[in-house]
Formats: sequence, structure tokens, C-alpha cells
Amino acid sequence: MYINACSTISHQNSFRNENWINELTVLEEGSELITPNYKEFIAPSAIRRMSKIIRMGLTCSKDCVEQSGIENPDAIIVGTGLGCLSDTEKFLNNSLTIKGLIPPTSFIQSTHNTIAGQISLALKNHNYNITHTQNSLSFEHSLIDAILCLNEEDSNVLVGAADEDIPLLGELINELGFKGVSNHLTSGASFFMLSNNKTANSKAILVDSYTVGLNSSDPSEIINAFLTQNNRSLNDIDLVLSNSFGSIGATEIKALFSPIKVTPIEQYTGYHLTNAAFSTHLATDILHQNATTKSVLIYNTLYNNNIGLTLLDSLEA
Amino acid sequence: MENLKATLKEQIIERLNLEDISVSDINDDTALFGEGLGLDSIDALELIVLMENDYGIELANPEEGKEIFSTINSMADYISKNKK
Repeated sequence: MYINACSTISHQNSFRNENWINELTVLEEGSELITPNYKEFIAPSAIRRMSKIIRMGLTCSKDCVEQSGIENPDAIIVGTGLGCLSDTEKFLNNSLTIKGLIPPTSFIQSTHNTIAGQISLALKNHNYNITHTQNSLSFEHSLIDAILCLNEEDSNVLVGAADEDIPLLGELINELGFKGVSNHLTSGASFFMLSNNKTANSKAILVDSYTVGLNSSDPSEIINAFLTQNNRSLNDIDLVLSNSFGSIGATEIKALFSPIKVTPIEQYTGYHLTNAAFSTHLATDILHQNATTKSVLIYNTLYNNNIGLTLLDSLEA
Repeated sequence: MENLKATLKEQIIERLNLEDISVSDINDDTALFGEGLGLDSIDALELIVLMENDYGIELANPEEGKEIFSTINSMADYISKNKK
């Protein structure tokens, strides 16, 4: 299936910037989310109560619709690790501090599926609409769902992921003992229009995605089995985009894929549970713009022993 | 009554996150829903909560809400007659 549109809001200058892959910078502590003018994409009457994660998700979705020309996708599928944290925190604080009725807005918008729901409302789309929340594998689960939809009767699927950072998250991370990480927590959203049809807008091919939760096997066996299932071997991969937590595992990951080039992406995305979606956009644009790169494997081990594998090919592969 | 109307406007702007709108933008007879301020059903719930928490008025009959919440004038009038 073809990736016919991508859109990312992140701590990089990624939104509507075709050259963004050449402008990547290693994030410094306390880097800021780079946002577009949301009011260009969302009606003022709607935007006033939208938190950061909803604004990001909806704006990227609308950008994908505009890029692809697909105004009414057959499915809207969203992955999020922690969901609408800002509204959740607000709702919980209200429930503790307000005597009497609790204001409904933050409660209504605290659920994980608010993002997909708001996209559906904005696009006036009544098709399949679902949210996957599977910790650090939420985006891959969304991709797998999208692949299943496209293998059945759907032609175009809008799929993506979003997560937001709030100050409280950094405090909790510190209390959990992950020193030095809280300043690298980030927000981000990446959305894609996947299609069975190759068009003039097609950028790359999504070959497959696969997950293993709480893995206890040798990762190399899982990687090789995934590649074999897709009639590949490691020799067919030109680039691996890896993703791990802190410095844990970075050396092991490089050794796992040696001599293939491995680029750790957390240095560019910071940490949020669906930053593998950022990797997917990055891989797509590398495959689209760099003729020598034919195949990219995304290896996501952000959280413990969860493994996410996503394989992309160039259109010429 | 004028003080109550001014307070209501401030509360509505703050509780409903009406960005880019100030007290002076809301006339006493501006329709709060539809073509006027453009409030929606979630806002209606917020107004019900505001009435109960801030003025001690519980709307027993939701059907009345449409009339009560039609303008600042109608809200202020209802509150002044029913405030506990």
C-alpha cells in the first residue's frame, strides 16, 4: 500500500517543509514544539476548547486530506500512548477541587478517542473510527489495523498518532527515577494517508508492520522472522531507524543490525510514546527523496521489551 | 442587574474559553447560541454547571434551558428571580 500523504508536527521544523529531513537538529533540553498557526486549519469556534494533542492531530489530518485530495477516507485510525493528558489532568483536578457539579468539557475531552472523534467531526466522516492505545506500540497497532482495512475493502485510510507532554509528566518521570529524561519529554503528531492506489502524490510503500509485547525472545530472531515473512533479509535493508529509551540499548541495537546504518531517532524526536510515527514520516521522505535508499526498517524499542517493526520501500524498489 | 450581566459575560468568556472575545463584544441581547456567539451543546452543559455552582440554581426542566440561555438578558433575569 502507498503512502500518499504525510504530515508531522514535532520539535523539528517538520510541518509543510519538504526539506525538513535535511534540517534535522539534535534536540537540546527543554526544546519547544514547533507549531503552525492552528487557526488556519481549525475553526475558531472549535479550537477554543481543544488541547495541544487535539490541535496537533486534527491539523496533521487536515493537511493529509489536503495533500492527498482524499476528503472522505474509508477509515480514521489513531494511535496514542497516553491520550489527552492535559484534559485528563484538568478533569481530575476539577474533581478534587470543585464542590458541586464538575464542568463537563475536560471530562468529555479526556478520553483517548477524542482525537479520532474530533477528526471525524471536522471531516464530517462517518466511516470506521478507532483509537489504539498500546503503550509504545500504539502507532504500530494503528498501522496494522490500517493494513487490515486496506486488505479488505477500503481504498484510503487516514492513520496517525499523537501524544502530548504536560509538566506533570516530567514530575512523575523524575519521581519514577528516570533522571535526566524529563527535559527530553516531547509532544508530537504524525498522520498519513494510506492508499491501495498509486497516485502522483505517492511517496513510498508501506510493506508491513508487526509488534511483540513484553518480548522475552532474542530480538534478532523476531527481526529475521519479520523480514523472512516479507521475503527479505537484513542485506536488503539500507537504513534502520531505531528508537530506545535514554542510552539504554543504543549500542546493542547498532550491534544487532551491523553493518547496516542505524540512526537513533529519539535524538530528533525526544521521548513520547508514539514517536515511531515520526520515524515513519522520516523514512517516507528519505525513500522519496534519496534514490539510493530503497528499503528502511523502523525498529521501535522505546519501552522495555516491546518491539515494533515497520518496513517501508521506495516506489522504485 | 447591570453588575450581574457584566459578571455573567466575564464568566462565560472564561469558562467557555472564548478566545478573541471580550466583554464589550457581547451585547445584552446577543443570541448566545446559533448565529450570535455560536455556542454549542457542550457549552450548554457548561452553562448549566455555572448556574448551579455559582448561583445555586438547579435547572429542573432542561426544556427551559433554551429560553433561559438565549441571551445575557434572559440569563440575568432568570438568575435574579431564582438565585438562592
